Amino acid sequence: MSVVLEINDLSAGYGPLRVLHEINLSVQRGERLAIVGLNGHGKTTLFRAITHLVGWQRGSIRFDGTEIGGARSLGEGRRTPGIVRLGVAMTPQGDAIFPGLTVRQHLDCGAWSRRAWKERAKRREAIFDLFPPLRKLENTVVGTLSGGERRMVSVGRALMTEARLYLIDEPSLGLAPIISQRVVAALREIDVMDGAMIIAEQNVSLLDGQVDRMIGMHAGRLRGDVGHVELG
Amino acid sequence: MDLAMIVYALNLSAIYALLAIGISLLWSSIGMMNMAHGASFAVAGYGALVAGDLLLPGINAALQGSALLPLVTFVVLLAAGVGSGALFGVLIYLLAFLPIHDKANFAVRGLIVTLAINLATVQALLWWFGPRQQALPNIFGFGRLNLLGVPVRYDQAATILATAVLLSVVLSWLRLSRKGLEIRAMMQNAEGAALSGISVRRTALPVMAVTGAMAGAAAVLLSQTVYVSPGAGAMPLIKGMIIALLGGLGSVPGAAVAALLIGALEAATGVIPFLGQRMVLLVQFGFIILVLIIRPRGIGGLLDETRK
Amino acid sequence: MTKAIAPVFHRVGNRRHEYVLVPQGGDVWRRARLPGVGRHWLNWRGTYNPRTLQRERRLADKRPLWWLLGLGGLSAVAPFLPDTLLQVAVIFAVFAAINVIWTLIIGAAGILSFATMATVGLAGYAAAAANVFWGVPWPLMFPIGIAVGLVTGGLLALPSTRIDGLYYALLTIGLAEICRVSISQIRALAPANSSINNVGSFIPQDWYLQRPGLLLGFATAMGLLLLALLMFRLVNSERLGLQLQAAREDEEFSEAVGIDYKRARMAVFLLASAALGFIGAYYAMLYRSISLSVFSLDQMLLMFAMIVIGGMGRAEGAVIGTAIVVVIDRALIDLGPLRIILIAGVMIAVTLTTHRGLADARQQFRAWRNRIKSERRAARTRKGGDVMPEEATEIADRQLHAYRRFDKRLRDRLKDMVTPELIAEHAAAPLGPHSDALSRVLNYFRRGEMPDKYAILQDGPPEAWVYSVLALSGEPGMPPRVVDDRSYATRDEAYHAVFLLRVNDLLES
Repeated sequence: MSVVLEINDLSAGYGPLRVLHEINLSVQRGERLAIVGLNGHGKTTLFRAITHLVGWQRGSIRFDGTEIGGARSLGEGRRTPGIVRLGVAMTPQGDAIFPGLTVRQHLDCGAWSRRAWKERAKRREAIFDLFPPLRKLENTVVGTLSGGERRMVSVGRALMTEARLYLIDEPSLGLAPIISQRVVAALREIDVMDGAMIIAEQNVSLLDGQVDRMIGMHAGRLRGDVGHVELG
Repeated sequence: MDLAMIVYALNLSAIYALLAIGISLLWSSIGMMNMAHGASFAVAGYGALVAGDLLLPGINAALQGSALLPLVTFVVLLAAGVGSGALFGVLIYLLAFLPIHDKANFAVRGLIVTLAINLATVQALLWWFGPRQQALPNIFGFGRLNLLGVPVRYDQAATILATAVLLSVVLSWLRLSRKGLEIRAMMQNAEGAALSGISVRRTALPVMAVTGAMAGAAAVLLSQTVYVSPGAGAMPLIKGMIIALLGGLGSVPGAAVAALLIGALEAATGVIPFLGQRMVLLVQFGFIILVLIIRPRGIGGLLDETRK
Repeated sequence: MTKAIAPVFHRVGNRRHEYVLVPQGGDVWRRARLPGVGRHWLNWRGTYNPRTLQRERRLADKRPLWWLLGLGGLSAVAPFLPDTLLQVAVIFAVFAAINVIWTLIIGAAGILSFATMATVGLAGYAAAAANVFWGVPWPLMFPIGIAVGLVTGGLLALPSTRIDGLYYALLTIGLAEICRVSISQIRALAPANSSINNVGSFIPQDWYLQRPGLLLGFATAMGLLLLALLMFRLVNSERLGLQLQAAREDEEFSEAVGIDYKRARMAVFLLASAALGFIGAYYAMLYRSISLSVFSLDQMLLMFAMIVIGGMGRAEGAVIGTAIVVVIDRALIDLGPLRIILIAGVMIAVTLTTHRGLADARQQFRAWRNRIKSERRAARTRKGGDVMPEEATEIADRQLHAYRRFDKRLRDRLKDMVTPELIAEHAAAPLGPHSDALSRVLNYFRRGEMPDKYAILQDGPPEAWVYSVLALSGEPGMPPRVVDDRSYATRDEAYHAVFLLRVNDLLES
């Protein structure tokens, strides 16, 4: 199956507001895709639609051939754990951390598959290699960490179990430039041979050279499919 | 200060702790106030009774005169009580949690549905078993130990010991096991938990089963001094609730401390001459109101890991 | 000679039918008022119907009608009921009154207190004791009841500010138990099993337990219910209630704008407690006795079931819920414990399906339906095709909305038709015979508005005309501007260039 994610005619919104208008997107295996655009234009809504956290959605989302979209019939968030367990890992905007748990416990939470749980110590080490500052914060409560450290914990949590599709929402939001570069470099090191990665980002120059394909999102529509972008 | 009174207080505290911690845990993990906890208590008592009537004659015949007899009897009754308590917890999960947990006004509606379940169960027990109080077989006999010069009844010792074991098992399950981690994650950020593959519905089920099991254990342990009857759950429910409140809803250590305090208070009130046994409830209420006025969030009301 | 107009009407659309009266002349605007207060009795609205050419008035708020039907119907039927059912009706009225006041505490003041029966019981016991042991004449039992209610309310109000919500609720549950135990300790009452009997009353001794006594009891109980409803209305819809509603929606903001909601809450709580005290004294007089059963926890839970089933926060809910539960509890008494199970079953069913009880079910359904409708409408909205709500208010002619939708659909069709072959066909013969698809596209372009159109500028010496493309501004006085610096040698190339520009505009729209 060479197409990891296929979105057909997706529309989604919250209540009477419609945010996404007939999105069509196809992501191939091994591809790193960036969706760029300003805030409020639907990037986060797209990710939330894929993981079934929006108010309503119409249209089809096929992940590895299985249909995970569809009109919302149950409460939002009810199907999310199921979708995550199919192999979709999302790092939401704003981190969604557990303020009372330690870094180590956060990472353990991300290891939802049986194999990942068994190997969790080894994988934690891998995450610490990816994000060195976390190593000495292993037993600190995440609620007391800084923004950059929380972002690293949040991304690390999504990496604990192998996923086929990584959805990273605004990795550089609220971070100092040096730290966001480090985060993006870490994302680059993740192996997506068998899957794909979609990064939603406002800061286009940060992703320069880091992704295979860049698509713009404006007012709820995808516009402008650009290949490898040389900026500057 | 009579040392026997301390034992008596510990005995009471142990039972109350089982109930209060169950209530506190349920509230903090899934946001539901379980008013049917008293019914769990009564159902577990009857479950143990029915199991006893079915199995004990056979066991008595097999292990006649053996020293193992009390132990086996205890295990059978405790297992039956814990089992029926857990099953009832699952029933409450199916009826009061699953249909409405993500709908509007869940806290109040959960409270109402569990209250209705309580009402219906007590009446159903009344209708099926009749209002007559019944006694579970006496497991421990009427002997006493002599512990450091303090006379301790067998059943008091067993209760305190069993409760300590049960509570430490449950609390370490919460702190150390994977399920416990998932529960605590869910408490703190429901969306983050969903994105980590943790389903609220799947996590709530063991919590409700475990708290039901704890109520069941309390029922069997308390049955040595209190009879099994349909209304047996009312007083433990009220006591359990107010201790959970006193300890701060959501704080398990707070509930344990509160249980100790209330147990001690109850023992002390019984002894003081001009108060006596009848003023117990009044004194406890006064104490609780006082504490809540000083610390509105209860003794252990920590704001980090708890739901408001 | 003119004929009277008799227009024929056909039902169109899905608006609900409004029942209207057609009064004569100035009666349209005449509304009766309450003497002295200046409020209107009923909310009549008078309008002029341009289609029937008549003046009409309709009842905007139909709730007084339902109340009249319900309670009035009950009062009318009561004298014909057998004794047992009449007693059920009496207890319904008393409990409904208590629940209406309780709804005031829970709904308006937002204090979840379970101490209603405790207050009623304490006031009843105090009033009865005053009458039986200290010879106070029965009319004075009412002020005593009110006073005891106030005192109890005051004592309960103190912790309610400090201790919040659930904690307070569970404490008040225990209060009734404490009262029960305390009163059972009073030695003077011990011989009568802690109850007080032979209380003086408005029901004469020889009427007691006879039919006339029952009827008098029912009449006064209905009066009590009406008084409770009046009090609910006066508190809830007037100043106190509005202040509390503001606080319920946003506490910090209401405090910031100067609403002292804490004081309002206390005031409502005290008023309600005083009313409960009054009801307590009445209760003692109605049954000419009072016993510890008034503090029973089961009774309290039943009352809670009543307001839960009916809906917490509305007076109609309190009355409906009380009616349902009292009927099941008292009229089906042969069922034994099963009737409590039935009540619990109704409670569970109502709570699982409705957000706020039966009285709010209609509103909940409408809100749900509106939500589905708005989601569907949002899903149908076509970007660039539908008129957004903000613009819709500016456009007076609804035809333009439909035209926009049509235009959008047309453009989508045409976009599909634009292929490289079509463009090549036009390049080959810009003015020549065109295929069907090309004709359609060109017709659409020709229909466009002036600002969308282009013109060709023919410039240069007659031997070597040079053509370039201009964009028209569409505004008088504003000259066209040259689109780009390309120039074409032949007119056909210029035509094709214009075609390409129009196609580009189409594809981007």
